[in-house]
Amino acid sequence: MSRFVRKFRKWTVDALDLPSDLVLDLPRLTLIGGKQLYIENHRGVVHFSPESLHLKLSQGMLEVEGSGLVIKEIMPEEVVIEGRISGIKYRETEES
Amino acid sequence: MKAPVFSQLHGTVTVVIRGENIERFINELSRGGIQIWNLVPLPDGKMEMNLQVADFFSLRPLLKKTGCRVRVKRRSGLPFTMLRLWRRKWFGVGFALFVAVIFSLSQLVWDIEVKGNVQIPEEDVLKAAREEGLYPFQWIFSLPGQDKLSAELNRKLPGTSWVGVSRTGTKISIQIVEATEPKEQGLVSPQHLVSKADAIITYIFAEKGQPEVKKNDRVKKGQILVSGFQGGKAVVSKGEVRGNVWHEYKIEIPLVRKQKVYTGEKKERGYLFFGKTAIQLTGYGKVAFDRSQVLTEFDPLTWRSLKLPIGWMSEKVLETTELEIKLSREQALKDGIERAKRDVLAKNGATSLILDQKILHEKTDNGKVYMKVLFEVEQNIAEELPIVHDQGE
Repeated sequence: MSRFVRKFRKWTVDALDLPSDLVLDLPRLTLIGGKQLYIENHRGVVHFSPESLHLKLSQGMLEVEGSGLVIKEIMPEEVVIEGRISGIKYRETEES
Repeated sequence: MKAPVFSQLHGTVTVVIRGENIERFINELSRGGIQIWNLVPLPDGKMEMNLQVADFFSLRPLLKKTGCRVRVKRRSGLPFTMLRLWRRKWFGVGFALFVAVIFSLSQLVWDIEVKGNVQIPEEDVLKAAREEGLYPFQWIFSLPGQDKLSAELNRKLPGTSWVGVSRTGTKISIQIVEATEPKEQGLVSPQHLVSKADAIITYIFAEKGQPEVKKNDRVKKGQILVSGFQGGKAVVSKGEVRGNVWHEYKIEIPLVRKQKVYTGEKKERGYLFFGKTAIQLTGYGKVAFDRSQVLTEFDPLTWRSLKLPIGWMSEKVLETTELEIKLSREQALKDGIERAKRDVLAKNGATSLILDQKILHEKTDNGKVYMKVLFEVEQNIAEELPIVHDQGE
């Protein structure tokens, strides 16, 4: 994505007040209590164990911590996680 | 999401994946559009997941690419259930056969019952029923209609006024109502009608035979009233002859009548009985009554209609006393005549008519009333007398 296009999109989002996850391809997380986590716009699983799940995002990484984690469902763009979720870390790495 | 809606219909498998790069395999799966659910990491680094049977074979290239191995842990769903059932098909066949046998046995006539026959033997009814196609151990559905059976049986069995055929379960009952046929009259030998007593004829009607007397004739006992010989032939004479007859009654009536009555005092005793042995449980003590009457009641234990030889027996001792009722002379006379009248009617038939009564003689002696009464009664005086043929001496 060229720098110009990204700039233009950002401007559109700000100007038209659009949801940025749709336009900028950013991840959207829905957490229901500490039980269920619904993640859209992920880029694949990096690491999965009962205690932690690392997901690749378009920019950076999402680390979910908890116990007894289970991937209820996985699709190219979406993933549903269940279990006792105790922490979510969002690490953004600026794209070079 | 849980499992896809029709996943149980198509069959699902639970697989365990092992290998170095399971995450990559999973990413490949989701990118390849293979639906998986309930992905659970196991403590030893393996992972467990569910997927549809149809997708199972498309795992192969992905496994090769990522160097993972897969092992099937559990299979569920209709195709696998069918497979298991197929392995036990003979059990299924046996079960179906069992149901079929039970069902077909319930479609058989097992028993035929004949009810309400008194004159007609049961064998005849069953034979007629067999001719109509109604007999044990045949299909219920192949029977002719019940109304048709009824009509046919009624036609075949003489002496029935109605035959009903009804079915309850596997039992057929044939209900018979027998026709009441007119009584056969026994053969009667030729006879005369003779007089029963000395009388004066008041009415004569000869239905058959030759009348020998007229109204107002005086007849003696044994005299022929209607002859059995008519036109030179012996016939069975029949008819009604009434006449005035005098009956003399000697009557005795005591003036004091004794009657036993209850005083109302009573004592109850209870026993437990086993067969012929009874053990008294309640009501001990002497009975203080001079005269008494004992009423015994049994109340055995029953089971359905069966009476057991064990139960409760209760005895009631009722005190009685004798009551003396004194009658006046007039009362005694009235009672006596009343009793005699009843006797006349009982002996001479209900059609008898008491025309007159006369007290001929009456005296009171020893606490009794003695009297002689004459009744004039109009009654039937005809009596049959068979004609004895001359034996030719």
